[in-house]
Amino acid sequence: MILDIYKDSLEYSAKDWKTLVILGVISLFSFLLLPAFLITGYNYRVINTAVHGIINGRDPLPGFDDPVDMFVDGVKVVIVQILYLLVPVIIFLVFAIIAAQFDSASSTLMIIGCLITFIVGVAACLMSEMGICHMAYNDGEFSKAFALKEIKEVIDEIGWFECILTYIGLIIIILVISVVITALIGILFIIFGISGALLGADPSGVFVLGGFINSAISMFIVGPYLSIFAARSMGLLYTMQI
Amino acid sequence: MASITDWVVEGLKYPFNDLKKLLNFGVLFALISALSTYIGIKSFEIFIDIMHIAIMANVTVSHITLSQLPVDDIKFVVGLTIVSFIISLLVMGYQYDTIKLSIDRKKDLPGSYDIIAMFAKGIKYFIVTLAYNIIPTLVLVVGMALAGESLILPIIFISMLLFIIAYFLLIMALNNMVAYDSIKKAFDFREIIDNISNLGWARYVGIILFTIIVVMIIAVAAGILLSFISVLFAASINNQAVVISMVIAIIEGLFINSYISLFFNRVCGSIYRESIK
Repeated sequence: MILDIYKDSLEYSAKDWKTLVILGVISLFSFLLLPAFLITGYNYRVINTAVHGIINGRDPLPGFDDPVDMFVDGVKVVIVQILYLLVPVIIFLVFAIIAAQFDSASSTLMIIGCLITFIVGVAACLMSEMGICHMAYNDGEFSKAFALKEIKEVIDEIGWFECILTYIGLIIIILVISVVITALIGILFIIFGISGALLGADPSGVFVLGGFINSAISMFIVGPYLSIFAARSMGLLYTMQI
Repeated sequence: MASITDWVVEGLKYPFNDLKKLLNFGVLFALISALSTYIGIKSFEIFIDIMHIAIMANVTVSHITLSQLPVDDIKFVVGLTIVSFIISLLVMGYQYDTIKLSIDRKKDLPGSYDIIAMFAKGIKYFIVTLAYNIIPTLVLVVGMALAGESLILPIIFISMLLFIIAYFLLIMALNNMVAYDSIKKAFDFREIIDNISNLGWARYVGIILFTIIVVMIIAVAAGILLSFISVLFAASINNQAVVISMVIAIIEGLFINSYISLFFNRVCGSIYRESIK
């Protein structure tokens, strides 16, 4: 089941390279703040398509029409994520404040606190992703993102173990893909540079070009690809309820 | 509607229905922000003048006689402040109309040229806003005056809380006033609270907070954009800080403040429309 999700998402995100480039251009301008929300809004649309579709179906990639709607969706997603992530942050702060009061047992308390924060943090990440999926499933009703009971039931039906496994697998796949592609391009240009240097040319220009192409590819192709991949996977995971 | 945030989407699109009227509205805001920039610069100059006089006469500021003050400049600034207050009354009249059109589900933007009626509406809007802020302000001022050093923080906290509660009630009160076109309805607390509980307090507070967050994001994004523009200006024109800040203030008023104001009041009207269903 988990592998099916990954396979479908990997294929889905590679459907249209134009979408990836458009997303890349948007993320290039995200220092203007509004485009950053457009990207999260687009990911929300991907989730929306996924939770209303079926795995291995013929869902098309969502379009870029109605940017205002996309922006508001993006704001909603960011608010949901921030509110969920506040929980582990507050727990960590509480532990830090308590630990600061004790001199003798402070380090043990801090370690326990960090462990609890980590566990709660993983749960909060999972709950926030599932909350966003649940919100998308219920036609974007904001309160549904915090209907903890319903979201817990959803995760119970999928199985906590599967959920966490999918989530961790997702992180590993994203890391591996980005590292491998960066390394490949890097090695390619190092070979170019060295062979150029052997022929007597100045290799520094080649290295600069390599770095430039590397960041361009990760911004315009790999980054958008992985963000669609992650969103699609979480959306499909949501549909895995029995 | 499926979700309460759909009103926010609708509100964000609303000012684009008639760009000409948006700009007409923006002219008022541009005037206000240009005037307030000028007032800021002018009062800073007056401040420096007074400091200068105080140093020359070797007395503290409170000992300067009236004849030594730059009276003409002060009169000028006070006059400008009154003018900008009158313009902001017009703006409030516009906001009144925006809420009215939103409650009536009309798509067009406010833009009547009946200035007297606009003033009347603006004054109503202003009085209600003022009335709702009196209690928290009184708590703040009287508390600060009477309480000792140790109580200042709690008093600030309590008055902030009162300000927030008053603000949330104020939005529904303004809506209620606009809907019935009578200032009495702004203080009909039973109906206001009924309306809010009809919608649900959590939904009501949530949608307003969400709208405010969207407004803040737009304002910050606009600020980033405008700071880029001002850097560009500053790089090309030397020694013209006043002119640059004026131009930026006018651009901000013309496009951004008017857009945000129309958006926010549109959403407020939609909230009322949904609450009486």
